[in-house]
Amino acid sequence: MKLEGSHQLEATRERVYQSLVSPEVLQRCIPGCEKLERTGENTFAATIKTGVGSIKGVFNGTARLEDLREPEHLRIVVEGKGAPGFLKGSGDLDLQQEGNLTKVNYTADVQVGGTIASVGQRMIQGTAKMMAAQFFTCLGAEAKTEVGEPPPQHGFFRTALRWFSGWIRKIFSHR
Amino acid sequence: MIPTQFDYRAPATLDEAVALLASDLDGAKVLAGGHSLIPAMKLRLAQPQLLVDIARIKSLAYIREEGDQILIGATTTHYQLESSDLLKNICPLLPDCAQSIGDVQVRNKGTIGGSIAHSDPAGDWPAAVLALDADLVLIGTNGERVVKAENFFVDLLTTDLQPGEILREIRIKKPVGRFGQAYQKVPHPASGFAVVGVAVNLNLNDDGSCKSVAIGVTGVGVKAFRATAVEAALAGTSLDDNALANAVTHVCDDVDPNADLYASSDYRCHLAQVHTRRGIQAAKARVQ
Repeated sequence: MKLEGSHQLEATRERVYQSLVSPEVLQRCIPGCEKLERTGENTFAATIKTGVGSIKGVFNGTARLEDLREPEHLRIVVEGKGAPGFLKGSGDLDLQQEGNLTKVNYTADVQVGGTIASVGQRMIQGTAKMMAAQFFTCLGAEAKTEVGEPPPQHGFFRTALRWFSGWIRKIFSHR
Repeated sequence: MIPTQFDYRAPATLDEAVALLASDLDGAKVLAGGHSLIPAMKLRLAQPQLLVDIARIKSLAYIREEGDQILIGATTTHYQLESSDLLKNICPLLPDCAQSIGDVQVRNKGTIGGSIAHSDPAGDWPAAVLALDADLVLIGTNGERVVKAENFFVDLLTTDLQPGEILREIRIKKPVGRFGQAYQKVPHPASGFAVVGVAVNLNLNDDGSCKSVAIGVTGVGVKAFRATAVEAALAGTSLDDNALANAVTHVCDDVDPNADLYASSDYRCHLAQVHTRRGIQAAKARVQ
């Protein structure tokens, strides 16, 4: 499946680029990302609990950054699998400064397989678009803050908190 | 094909159902007809901890007139809507839409509320309630609130329903004047879901020109939407072939059409144009 799109962020190209390669920012901005750890200079391991509506799954995967040309281009290669299926692919991101704004153009080629691909085929593209929009909205808010400021309180942060408190509650209710 | 373990409760009243949902906001899920949720659970794509079955709450399934409104309970089945003589007379779009859904088994069990709350991008009811400008009544622990259909559908499978809330009732203003309605659909050959579905609610002036038209489209975008550009282009026209041909080119104006193995986005948009035109023609032919 090919994915393309572009998003405009209210920050300089350098800030956007820095946010894109920061594991902390990525963890906060990737929808449903619970864990993202650096495993090498440009490699990361992640656990993502994500989905839409009642359809949810946990995915474990790795990401590798390639072709880093700060501040205009990078390439992300991902591979992941979970109970509902697997995915692998790569995406190119190009950053363009437009006045005070930065335009991020992305093209990606992703293969999705397993249960989710066989029964959810008609929803995959919609899900991908929705998550890309969520990711870039969050990234825009992150990149807008100055260095040293606390991260913005956006939706995913709250979602993660809610998930965490639900989990705590579940542990206690089983005892 | 075996779901993960879950608890099941069948409360007798809506209040009990709301309380049960509030007891586990993350893990509980409302079960109505189960025609979207159960398959997802069997594939383990959905793994709720608790199912709250509202299909057994008898007082939630009804179709009635009240003043200038039509009230429909959330667990009213597609079949009940399809076979309602009352609706055939006062709001034929609803039975027209209902009879196009899935197959007999699906229509016997599936509910209008379930379909709207699930907000499948190819579900039929979202298009119909958008075209009818329905009000949706949601109930939660904080009481009731009413949301306009056009504000209810947020994104793919995502609605304005908050954790713990249940869709209770669909309220529709009774169509008045010289009106005509139609639901026009291209069903997917395997699933019966709408590749494209167009709900048309048309009002004519005394001279036969278009007073207003509301068009709900499903299957094309990540959620059902109102084709407002087409509606605007048709207002005041005589709905002749030229006016229709021009207006329907705007149906995909504000949407990035879905693509899947069955239909590319260009093909889908083409289908949407053709069936919007046919839907309007059918609605016009039914004006009395």
